[in-house]
Amino acid sequence: MERFLDAVFLGLSSGAIYALVALSLVVVFRGTGHLNFAQGEMATLSAYIAWVFYDMGVHLIIAALIGMAFGALLGGATEVALVRPLEKKSPLAVFVALITLFLGINALTTGIWGAPPDEQIDSLFPNDPEDFWRIGGGVWRDRDIGALAVTLVITALLFLLFKRTRFGLAMRGVASNAESARLVGVPTSRVLIGSWAIAGAIAALAAVIVAGNQGQVTPIIMVSIFVYGAAAATLGGLDSPGGAVIGGLLIGVIENLAAEYQEEWIGQEMKLGVALLVIFVVLLVKPSGLFGTAKVERV
Amino acid sequence: MTTVDDDAYVSELGPQAVAAEPAAAATLLHVADLRAGYGPVLVLHNVSLSVGEGEVVVVLGANGAGKTTTMRAISGTIPRMGEVDFAGRSILKASPDAIVRAGIAQVPQGRGTFPELSVEDNLRIGAYTQRGGGVDEDVSRWFDTFPRLAERKTQKAGSLSGGEQQMLAIARALMSRPRLLLCDEPSQGLAPLITKELFAIIGDLSREQGIAVLLVEQNANLAMKIADRVYLLETGHIVASGNAEAIAADDSIRKAYLGY
Repeated sequence: MERFLDAVFLGLSSGAIYALVALSLVVVFRGTGHLNFAQGEMATLSAYIAWVFYDMGVHLIIAALIGMAFGALLGGATEVALVRPLEKKSPLAVFVALITLFLGINALTTGIWGAPPDEQIDSLFPNDPEDFWRIGGGVWRDRDIGALAVTLVITALLFLLFKRTRFGLAMRGVASNAESARLVGVPTSRVLIGSWAIAGAIAALAAVIVAGNQGQVTPIIMVSIFVYGAAAATLGGLDSPGGAVIGGLLIGVIENLAAEYQEEWIGQEMKLGVALLVIFVVLLVKPSGLFGTAKVERV
Repeated sequence: MTTVDDDAYVSELGPQAVAAEPAAAATLLHVADLRAGYGPVLVLHNVSLSVGEGEVVVVLGANGAGKTTTMRAISGTIPRMGEVDFAGRSILKASPDAIVRAGIAQVPQGRGTFPELSVEDNLRIGAYTQRGGGVDEDVSRWFDTFPRLAERKTQKAGSLSGGEQQMLAIARALMSRPRLLLCDEPSQGLAPLITKELFAIIGDLSREQGIAVLLVEQNANLAMKIADRVYLLETGHIVASGNAEAIAADDSIRKAYLGY
């Protein structure tokens, strides 16, 4: 039982990070139909910015907020400068440009901060060896609870944004029918910039949490997490924020349980494979993902 | 008669299609020499028309005549050249949202609703340009007018029937409190009985609320019944115009557009 709970708690915390990345992907995908392949690297760069300020003596929470603001700016700028002009040419051009951006930012962060910095970045949550709770015999560390709590709060905020605000209604409108949204007077370009900015801030937060847990920012902190996040978004349904969160948590828990109970066969090295297998099976049965909308339309 | 002089159709029309001067009411929408298209392809070559305050104007045209393009050019969703004045001001350079705020609402062709949004959210997003309250009042007002929508207000718009969706698109357009309603082929894909009901609703709206309507259609018979004035659009040109009775009385037009 302890073993099981340990794996579940660990899974929920890594799953929470996947969920944040998945949320950022879903927010952009709903509005534009693009999967932002550069999202992980954009978040890494944002985490570096947060670390730079933290290193200058700024309080960690303020530094994290600065990192999120930078992520939002970077997201909005990407939409305006890269995606929008290319989108008119072809969707494939956007795809290629985002891959290029991924490589470009990775080269940039490696070039500037290639050698891991000696200065460390703290976790946003209590992270000393004695900061944990014992629940049913399992160990649940404060920082892992913190990551999960942040994810749930962000999800709730997004839900309120979508369901309760005028801007959220506009976002849903653009996602559902962009031309009609323009015809009712929604300034679609501002909605798209807003979506990319929100996504950038969420992903930046994820990267700051990851960096804090590892003690430092490195150019590759988000590479495999992006893959997990994209997988989580696909599993949950690319247009469903709730699905993204559940998808992320599911993948986190499944891979950690698999690694825990099949140490010989799977272990830490092969756990991504298990997650991908689950996704493959789900998509075979339900191509729009667990909670994605298969379009309802009567003819 | 107001016809485009460089066109061969003029001679075929005969002198019956006369008296096509704009209605006595003040001109609300004035379009002259409108040219628009997609990329390098020009679809509208020379469209001139006007809609008076509270008037119902129908533009008849076959497939590919440029009906939808005309609507899009007026609502500003595609690049256009020429003159487009609304309520005395040029809206040629205005963005689509500024045009909605000025008082023009469009009911787009076909399924113009937001299929994943609830019926009520479809109405609410229609009031996007409305600053300051009154949205709740408008929602209940149009639910009163369209009780079938009220019964389905929590349902997703995509699950409604074609006729219900068209009603929803009209109600949504009205949420922006327009002075001019643009309707793009409301009859498309609908059963004749439903089309008839829909045109009756549009006619009533105009009469009771004083909303001007510019409606493009292939379905001439029904559309003519609610029209004050009619324009004929062929391959991007306005080829004739007149009041509804004069157009209906013209033999060649009747054969070409009304089929009897």
